[in-house]
Amino acid sequence: MPLMAGLMARFADQRPFDHLVIAACLHVTAETAMLVRLLRAGGASVGLAASNPLSTQDDIAAALAVRYGIATFARAGVDRRGYYRHIEAALAAGPAGPDLVIDDGGDLVNTLHTQAASLLPGVRGGCESTTTGVIRLRRMAAEGALAFPVIAANDTAAKRLVDNTCGTGQSVIDGILRATNTLLAGKTVVVAGFGACGRGVAERARGLGAQVIVTEIDPVRALDASLRGFRVLPMAHAAPAGEVFITATGTCDVISAAHIAMMRDGAVLANAGHFDTEIDVRALAGLAAAVHHDVRPHVDAYDLGDGRTVLLLAEGRVVNLVAAEGHPPEVMDLAFGLEALALAWLAGNTGKLPAGVHEVPADIDAEAARLVLATMGTSIDALTPAQQAYLESWRIGS
Amino acid sequence: MSAEQLPYHVADISLAAFGRKEIQLAEHEMPGLMAIRAEYAPSQPLRGARITGSLHMTVQTAVLIETLVALGAQVRWASCNIFSTQDHAAAAVAVGPDGTPDDPGGIPVFAWKGETLEDYWQCTEQALTWPDGDGPNMILDDGGDATLLVHKGAEYEKAGGVPSPADDDPEEWRIILDRLRNSLADHPGKWTQIAGHVRGVTEETTTGVHRLYEMARAGTLAFPAINVNDSVTKSKFDNKYGCRHSLIDGIKRGTDVLIGGKVAVVCGYGDVGKGCAESLRGQGARVVITEIDPICALQAAMDGYQVATLEDAVATADIFVTATGNRDVITAEHMSRMKHQAIVGNIGHFDNEIDMAGLARWPGVRRLNIKPQVDEWTFPDGHGIIVLSEGRLLNLGNATGHPSFVMSNSFTNQVIAQVELFTRTAEYPVGVYTLPKHLDEKVARLHLDALGVRLTQLTKEQSDYIGVPVDGPYKPEHYRY
Repeated sequence: MPLMAGLMARFADQRPFDHLVIAACLHVTAETAMLVRLLRAGGASVGLAASNPLSTQDDIAAALAVRYGIATFARAGVDRRGYYRHIEAALAAGPAGPDLVIDDGGDLVNTLHTQAASLLPGVRGGCESTTTGVIRLRRMAAEGALAFPVIAANDTAAKRLVDNTCGTGQSVIDGILRATNTLLAGKTVVVAGFGACGRGVAERARGLGAQVIVTEIDPVRALDASLRGFRVLPMAHAAPAGEVFITATGTCDVISAAHIAMMRDGAVLANAGHFDTEIDVRALAGLAAAVHHDVRPHVDAYDLGDGRTVLLLAEGRVVNLVAAEGHPPEVMDLAFGLEALALAWLAGNTGKLPAGVHEVPADIDAEAARLVLATMGTSIDALTPAQQAYLESWRIGS
Repeated sequence: MSAEQLPYHVADISLAAFGRKEIQLAEHEMPGLMAIRAEYAPSQPLRGARITGSLHMTVQTAVLIETLVALGAQVRWASCNIFSTQDHAAAAVAVGPDGTPDDPGGIPVFAWKGETLEDYWQCTEQALTWPDGDGPNMILDDGGDATLLVHKGAEYEKAGGVPSPADDDPEEWRIILDRLRNSLADHPGKWTQIAGHVRGVTEETTTGVHRLYEMARAGTLAFPAINVNDSVTKSKFDNKYGCRHSLIDGIKRGTDVLIGGKVAVVCGYGDVGKGCAESLRGQGARVVITEIDPICALQAAMDGYQVATLEDAVATADIFVTATGNRDVITAEHMSRMKHQAIVGNIGHFDNEIDMAGLARWPGVRRLNIKPQVDEWTFPDGHGIIVLSEGRLLNLGNATGHPSFVMSNSFTNQVIAQVELFTRTAEYPVGVYTLPKHLDEKVARLHLDALGVRLTQLTKEQSDYIGVPVDGPYKPEHYRY
């Protein structure tokens, strides 16, 4: 993770988080461990909880707690109650609560506002890592409920490209392959949602030889998918045709009981979105005559009782993290490097942003991309003064 | 055109300057031919060769002709299709790189766009007839018409006369017989003499190769032949990369529709179909394949294409392309059920893949010519379809066929085959041969530099390990690239 490795030296030198407490709610993986160590190198005390009950890599959690002395609260397979207890513990990591927060999905920020509101005055701001969390935060902000500024770190040009399109695109396919070992060439793959994640998944499935059908609710994205040569259908029409279904929408009930009722025998259902709501797992259980758990690791077979069986991967939770290893380190390097830079900016600019959801300052995005390019040995051009003047002037025409 | 000897016959010799400019541009895109010139010109391996060529008289062919000349050959040329001549290229070849329209210094070329069939066969005979009364000693053929004229002439001379055509013979066959009848009367023994002097023919295309194998089987082949068509660097490049380039070029020049988002049906997933499907997908179309061969159908499915029958797709697709080599693939009945302004075109060799005659006979159908090679056919229910190039090869009819780089591959094979047959005649008893693999590999090698390709070389240890010589040939004969 060369970007964060480079920042480690910079933060150790500049100590942007000196005497600050940071509460983090993130998938507890090797990449997250690097981020937490980076924050720590910058002077922070960190409390860490998992952002998903299934995604914790227990060895990493143990190493963080034992070897690096990070207040870590995370265990794979924890129940719902335990999950939220861990988040509360992370929020209580410092004596007066956190100065800064990092969230992935919005559960920590939500808990902070609903269960630990007394800590809110001390919070200077935070970062949110993923689209789902940003959607929740914007709703909070719209209702006037968000008490501090949050930078939507998922939402930069560089991150959308590298993390969502490339990282999710690659690791979702990886998760499906590891879970099922199915050949995608020749299969009909239905990708629900053609945002940055869905596009990455759809393009990679096509690259493996699948026929890809896209479902969308947004006409602009549907047109984008069409013009890229994907077949766009409503889910009700795609359901009987598909062999592998991947949801990447950010919303709920994308695959419903009615859809499942039309599916082919052996259909594979996987979710790439943050929450386990995109596939209506409860409805699936309701349809099933019998459920055979873990026919392969992370594969549950739902026997529909009429000769058809539908395979649900990772219990409908985010398949790339559960059945594979999440994003490859290069992707998380950029994503977390960006968050670390944004958080450092927040620490040094307290009070400059009002409560609400904010974009990452463009020069931070550019700085992160530039640092990554440097680690790849890629050089780029710089504008000449004449070009700069040309771009800034309205007087010069053809 | 009279039967008398002419130095050349082209549409307009004043087009030579324009032709020369295009030839110079093409030379840059034909690195194989230019490398062959550099390698062989000093040794003049074709000195003494008298080559008659029958091949589309285009700008790219001009570079081929001038390569043969650079290697020492004397050359006479005709086109192998009545419509395919580029008149500026023909003029430039007649004038030559150093001549002027008033004082031409090129080669005798007999070709213009829009010949009649009578003109066409007379041009072919002119190209085979050398001023000293003798004939060629080499033939470079595309489709086999020059070879056919020599063989039929010699056959009828031996039989003592030209037969009368049967009632159901095609019109073109009558024209061939008339020409030979006149020729036998004027110059008895001419064709037997030519057939005896020709050391060999190199054949460009599937149709001509098919004829050669038939003659070899029947024992009537008079001289050895090299099948250039089946060199990997010819067939793959022509069929796959050439069509991948020119299919969408033809569709766009013909219609200018946005291909992205459209549903395109490609009938046939052989090399041509694979190239077509790839280019349409690359433009953002959703491509549906139809196939009759389960292997090709499975290949298409594994490549991520929907494989359907034409019946399934006919009412919903926007673009239809035939690439099967078979007849009646798209029938009039199919066309009657297509969407309004569906585009229909063919990229297979012959014009029978789309049933144009059936379309023209459809009760109440009306044809509206939009522009050359683009017609809208409107059915009585009011819906119309757009047919490109009247069902003939749309990449040639609506665009300019294969680009120079692709032709450089096939023509480099041609030149190497000419040198091979002319200089090693004794090693090729009468029969049909493909170029040995090391020469096929050489053709590829000659095109790498122009593309900035850096080839890795086997080490001696690696070479020993897999039992393949360091300098090739690298693959067994049966290898499928």
